[in-house]
Amino acid sequence: MIQLNNIEKYYANKGVKNYVLRLVTTTINQGEFVSIMGPSGAGKSTLLNIIGMLEEPTYGSYEFLGEDVTALNERKRIELYRNHIGFVFQAYHLIDEMTVYENIEAPLLYKKVGGAERASRIADLLDRFNMVAKKDLFPNQLSGGQQQLVGIARALAAQPSIILADEPTGNLQSAQAEEIMELFKKLNQEDGITIIQVTHSEKNAQYGNRILHIADGVVKEDVLVG
Amino acid sequence: MFRLNLKIALRNLWKNKVSSFINVVGLAIGLAACLTLLLYVTYEWNFDKQAKNSADVYTAMTNIPGDNGKISGTFEGSTTAFGPAIRQGLPELRYMARMDYGGKNLIANGQNAFKRQSKFAEPDILKMYDYHFIQGNANTALNHPNSVIVTESTAKVLFGSTDVLNRIVRFKDQIDLNITGVIEDQPDNSSNKFDYLMPWSLYESIDRGAKDLNWSNYSFITLVMLKNGVDLNLVNQKINQIEKKNNTNNQQSQVLFPLAKLHLYGKFEDGKSVGGAIEQIYLFVGLAFGILLIACINFMNMATAKSEKRAKEVGIKKTIGANRSSLIVQFLTESMVLTFIAVIFAIALLEIFLPAFNNLLNIKLDISYFNGSSWMGILGIVLATGLIAGSYPAFYLSSFNPIQTLKKKIKSKGLFSVSLRQVLVVGQFCFAIILIISTLVIYKQIQYIKNRPVGFDVNALVEMPQDGELKTKYELLRTQLLKSGAVSSMFQSSVSLSHHGRNFAGIEWEGMLKATNNQLFNQVITTYDFIKTNGIKLTSGRDFSEKFASDTSAVMVSASAVKVFGYKNPVGRTVTIFGDKFHIIGVFDDYVWDSPYKSNNPMVVFFDQKQTGNITMRLNENNSIQRNIETISRITRALNPAYPLEINFLNNIYAEKYNAEKTLGILSNLFGGLAIFVSCLGLFGLVAYNAEQRTKEFGVRKVLGASLFNLMQLLSFSFVKMILVSIVIAIPLSYFLMNKWLMKFEFHTNISWWIMPLAGLGTLLIALITVSFQAYKTAHANPVNALKYE
Repeated sequence: MIQLNNIEKYYANKGVKNYVLRLVTTTINQGEFVSIMGPSGAGKSTLLNIIGMLEEPTYGSYEFLGEDVTALNERKRIELYRNHIGFVFQAYHLIDEMTVYENIEAPLLYKKVGGAERASRIADLLDRFNMVAKKDLFPNQLSGGQQQLVGIARALAAQPSIILADEPTGNLQSAQAEEIMELFKKLNQEDGITIIQVTHSEKNAQYGNRILHIADGVVKEDVLVG
Repeated sequence: MFRLNLKIALRNLWKNKVSSFINVVGLAIGLAACLTLLLYVTYEWNFDKQAKNSADVYTAMTNIPGDNGKISGTFEGSTTAFGPAIRQGLPELRYMARMDYGGKNLIANGQNAFKRQSKFAEPDILKMYDYHFIQGNANTALNHPNSVIVTESTAKVLFGSTDVLNRIVRFKDQIDLNITGVIEDQPDNSSNKFDYLMPWSLYESIDRGAKDLNWSNYSFITLVMLKNGVDLNLVNQKINQIEKKNNTNNQQSQVLFPLAKLHLYGKFEDGKSVGGAIEQIYLFVGLAFGILLIACINFMNMATAKSEKRAKEVGIKKTIGANRSSLIVQFLTESMVLTFIAVIFAIALLEIFLPAFNNLLNIKLDISYFNGSSWMGILGIVLATGLIAGSYPAFYLSSFNPIQTLKKKIKSKGLFSVSLRQVLVVGQFCFAIILIISTLVIYKQIQYIKNRPVGFDVNALVEMPQDGELKTKYELLRTQLLKSGAVSSMFQSSVSLSHHGRNFAGIEWEGMLKATNNQLFNQVITTYDFIKTNGIKLTSGRDFSEKFASDTSAVMVSASAVKVFGYKNPVGRTVTIFGDKFHIIGVFDDYVWDSPYKSNNPMVVFFDQKQTGNITMRLNENNSIQRNIETISRITRALNPAYPLEINFLNNIYAEKYNAEKTLGILSNLFGGLAIFVSCLGLFGLVAYNAEQRTKEFGVRKVLGASLFNLMQLLSFSFVKMILVSIVIAIPLSYFLMNKWLMKFEFHTNISWWIMPLAGLGTLLIALITVSFQAYKTAHANPVNALKYE
């Protein structure tokens, strides 16, 4: 599904190249649950951003679903976001002016899903995440864990084939974090959604089936879990 | 999608109350100013355009020949023979109506007598204007000489109803007329407005000049309606040929000019229209859109200043599949919603302030002047405003790259956006400062002209028109008034002191070099006590006097006339006017009549007791004004009972001469004030936002020991810098513009140096107060509150 070849990312500063990623080559298949781990500043988030096409690599090639997306124009990229990729952020990044319901609805509106279909999908998600009673609340009226649930529900609304999560539990207490990770595991196993997450926590990484250890921009280890 | 956008937009407005308030108030003021002036422009623009066929109606203009084959002047007027001649010789002509210029004349129903605007015209006028007849028949209403058409309001004033067909009214206390029609009142923006209309055939029996078909008396209006789509140039060539055939020795030529254009394009140079009131329209439109643009700039600045907040939203939306156009649509929706809210307030403001505005400018505007198409125009302005105000934020914000915004790396995106914001603020304040300087210069010019001596003491002078019995009983009136002690002296004259008389050039003097004279002279005809009453300074000679029977062939001349004649000792010398010899008995200083802004033609005052027109009186200053006026009223009423009393004070008449420039001054003042206010609103918003962003920095600085003053300085400095830049730009620009404006006047003041620093420092002070209010609030806040978060 994802094929990275010799991905490099550096920032040139006064003629000195500061490498963030060096010669990253890996393949991620449909249905995998991959955790990217490593110390701060290792390049985990940059790798995830490149996979999510939020950043472009300085060098190397990237194929998504068999298509070269190394330098994609904005229109095509947004097309991929609409149909294939769901993002989950550490800081949730819900839209403050929108209610829970509207936040989940937003990607469907951009995807131009019909009204009836939209209503049934949102109802389904709200039901699944036990948020029916909270659908008219605004993000600042929810706890962090609840906000992240809305964030995941929003990522799922467009029925993506892959979810990219950047430290999804970084701002959460452990009980809530566990709940979120259980949810990811369930999504991966029952719905077959590919998940790539960046995490600090060894415990969270154990929910997945593969771990990429990164240090100083280089993939040090690629291990299967369980 | 649209509904969601709308909902979010309203929530955003509600959430950011300060910036929404600033934006709505600013835009509402801008739009209200725009709508007010649009109303005024609509009124002016539709002058004489109400009738269905108004585009085919033309009026006859007369060109006065000048030196070197040029045309020295053009005025609306024609001879009695012109109309009938072109009716015969011009196949393009559909209708032709001759009429008089109209005037305030007495019309009465029994004792119920009023002076109202009268007009005489040929019946074809009813085909050109589609007057709406409430009573009577347009085809026959002007057929009989003793008939009259009255307007609805005239009928109501005279009879208390409009059901007055075939009732009798008395014209000028002399002729009984039969009402043959009642029409709806005409709009104010019509050149040929009247309160009652009488047939030309009646005019011919009253005025010999109208009956006589001639090519020399240009005292009449000729309106024609041509066939649709004819070429005016071709028609005017044909008219030229017709004229040549009819009057061989006359140099003055006539042309047709579209009636609907005369009001706005009525300034002629060398026989060609070179603008006129249209220039003022352009100025007003410029002012209106200037204010609106300032409000739009506020919106843009507030929106881009807040871009850091909005950037996150843009980033998220892009990752969940929003493309750029959907974001642009969203931001534009927000600005449109805001503009629509603002326009509702603007219309409310307009309704509230229109009476005051009308009062200020002495006009009668009403929101009903807006017709269907102007409402479409307003909608257009609203959409355009929303688009202009929203475009920059929309395109700017939607261009953000999601990852930068989500990493919070977006630091106002380099130099460009900051400098654009600064440029916009500088532009706003430039506009405001220019308006302030203009206001000061305009007021200084008005003051200068006001202080320019009129040439005589206008206080204690009153005048009244010489109507009805006053024409024949002037001597009786004079004796009674002087005896009563209300009046110390008085004279009758052909025109008011404040107005020009007849222009003539047929004068020869001793030792004249040219064969014929081109210089126009002003002719005033008067009786005894002319100088004694008006108090104009006599430089040599004497006033007309009963002691000299020879005064019937005597004239008094103005100092400028003496200069034209070149006489060293003018008293006793002679001039020849239209073949008759007159000797000069007195020379007086030039005084102001017509426009106080230019010097007047030389003037010759004749003596003729039969020439009536106007009575001027000097009040006895030993009595109270009120008592004097009561006495004059009583005596005049007794002598001339048919006419209502009309006593005017000359100081009022002279004060009105400054009206056009006063209007300009008021408008400039008003819009300058609004521009400053709206600009400061925007500045306040920017400072408030800047302060909010720097709360943490200020907290840290405070903990480190910065004083309140240090912090205020820090926050104010960048804004004060922008105001200084705009002052530097605005001063030379306004100096140039106002100097050009002043040069239009023959008598003008100069731009004093102190005006510039006054305007600049004034603006700076206002801006500083605006800024420091917010700066104080921020700097005064408890640092703990600022540092507690994050």
